[in-house]
Amino acid sequence: MICIQNLSFSYPDQEPVLKNIDLNIAEGDYIAVIGPNGSGKTTLIKHLNALLLPSAGEVLVDGLSTSNPKNLPEIRRRVGMIFQNPDNQIVGMSVEEDVAFGPGNLGLPPKEVRKRVDEALEKVGLTNYKSRPPYTLSGGQKQLLAIAGVLAMDSRYIVLDEPTASLDPQSNYKVLNLLKKLNYEGIGIIHVTHNMDDLIIANRLLVMDQGKLITDGPAADILSQVESLKAIGLTPPKVTELMYCLNQRGAAVATNICTVEEAVEEINSLLIKLQNPVDHNRRETEHV
Amino acid sequence: MYNPGYYLDRQSPVHKLDPRTKIITVIALSISIMQLDHTGLLIIALLLLTCSQAAHIPVVSWLKTLQPILPFFLFLFLIYIFTTPGDPLITIGPINISDQGIYMGFTQVFRFILLILTASILTMSTSSAEITMGLERLLHPVKIIGLSSQDIAMMVSLALRFVPTLIEEMNHIKEAQLSRNCNFNTRGIRGKIRNVTYLSLPLAVNLFRRCDELVNAMEARGYNKGPRTYMRDLAFAPIDFCIISIFVAGTGLCLIL
Ligand SMILES: Nc1ncnc2c1ncn2[C@@H]1O[C@H](COP(=O)(O)OP(=O)(O)OP(=O)(O)O)[C@@H](O)[C@H]1O
Ligand SMILES: [Mg+2]
Repeated sequence: MICIQNLSFSYPDQEPVLKNIDLNIAEGDYIAVIGPNGSGKTTLIKHLNALLLPSAGEVLVDGLSTSNPKNLPEIRRRVGMIFQNPDNQIVGMSVEEDVAFGPGNLGLPPKEVRKRVDEALEKVGLTNYKSRPPYTLSGGQKQLLAIAGVLAMDSRYIVLDEPTASLDPQSNYKVLNLLKKLNYEGIGIIHVTHNMDDLIIANRLLVMDQGKLITDGPAADILSQVESLKAIGLTPPKVTELMYCLNQRGAAVATNICTVEEAVEEINSLLIKLQNPVDHNRRETEHV
Repeated sequence: MYNPGYYLDRQSPVHKLDPRTKIITVIALSISIMQLDHTGLLIIALLLLTCSQAAHIPVVSWLKTLQPILPFFLFLFLIYIFTTPGDPLITIGPINISDQGIYMGFTQVFRFILLILTASILTMSTSSAEITMGLERLLHPVKIIGLSSQDIAMMVSLALRFVPTLIEEMNHIKEAQLSRNCNFNTRGIRGKIRNVTYLSLPLAVNLFRRCDELVNAMEARGYNKGPRTYMRDLAFAPIDFCIISIFVAGTGLCLIL
């Protein structure tokens, strides 16, 4: 459990960037964080592994306060972080050396490091690339490599800051699929994104605006509030907007829909209803 | 993208040596190279050729590591030709070119070529992790003057790691400037200087941003003062002791004679 209590933060000599944030993140959560540019998402997640320390309030990772320097190694082990630009987080000259960086920092014996590296590469599917220099990998593979680096540290939470921003749809799909699998295995995922289609697998959605956490709840419910999202400059997924517009025009469809499959289901059942109104009515009267 | 001097993943006897052995050998060879004259240098050249073959390094890719530094060799050669005093062979105005100058020019350039080739055998037969590990252990005594051998080793390995990234970035910037109609074929010293600023300023700015992110990423992955470990541990084998003794003794001889 990561507990954020009344967290405020400001960069030196500046207006506060985060204002009174309260948030609990459970180990098995899959949380998506959205918000307009400059709303403080990156600043918030940098608090989760003590890259930034609160100006006021407290962040506790499994009970360890990030403000206590003694807790740093353990917090960094528990909370893995992946940044937007994959190039700037690779330190090794080969794929396996890079994965070995984290466990090496933990001071594990060489045999254990070797074992963890092999397991992590296996999990993300990069075993065949292990002796390649990282710069020869594609953008998507570099992000998978970054995830392997975190897995090798046996992290309990993985925090990602727009990890798929520069990926093509197929690599994007691969990364999301892996995250879903890891979440299924019990790892907490905190995923900052601008891509609304990435949110669907999250079980919780946080919306940030001007340094405040303005909404926290199930993704589908929040996304269906199309007007309030647009008010802070965010666009809901196209499908959700479609259902919302239909609903506004008087069609009897649900609006908390984020995937094409759900929309097809919903529209289809509406069409069936419309095609056989008589049937439908008769059945209802028979029922009565 | 081709990278001269990049690690070649082979199963050669040289690859299997302890990295510390290879680093010590390179230092010993470098000292000898600076001491020796023509015959000695030729013997070293042959020795290096043997080593590169033992390391399964193709001669062509080995020699290609010299390519980026060719202009420097030319520069060095000219400096020696023009500045070494001696019996004038050719006189052009105030400039004398002497026998001794030409001899010095050739020997110095040859020395530098051999130094580079020595270093390339090391980098082509030793992965950066191994070089880092080796350096870290060898530099351990710097602790006495308050430095951390771990940090130094890490810096060296990061520098190596970022060479290809920077080359790539430089090409990106060049393309971006070209697409804004910046002309890189200007002649004359002023044009050249302007070109360098057009390339190096954005490169420097990007570099700082990159470092900032890299530091974050390294911290996030738990880099700190404590001792680090690697995928394998270092251990000297008898062959390592043999090689070190031979090369160190050889260098000793060069210094005495
Ligand atoms: N190093 C810094 N020094 C000073 N101010 C900063 C620094 N980093 C960010 N800020 C400011 O803090 C605010 C929040 O920035 P942050 O990077 O957290 O936003 P974000 O939600 O991640 O935005 P984006 O969607 O663009 O990534 C911005 O107003 C920004 O200008
Ligand atoms: Mg951000």
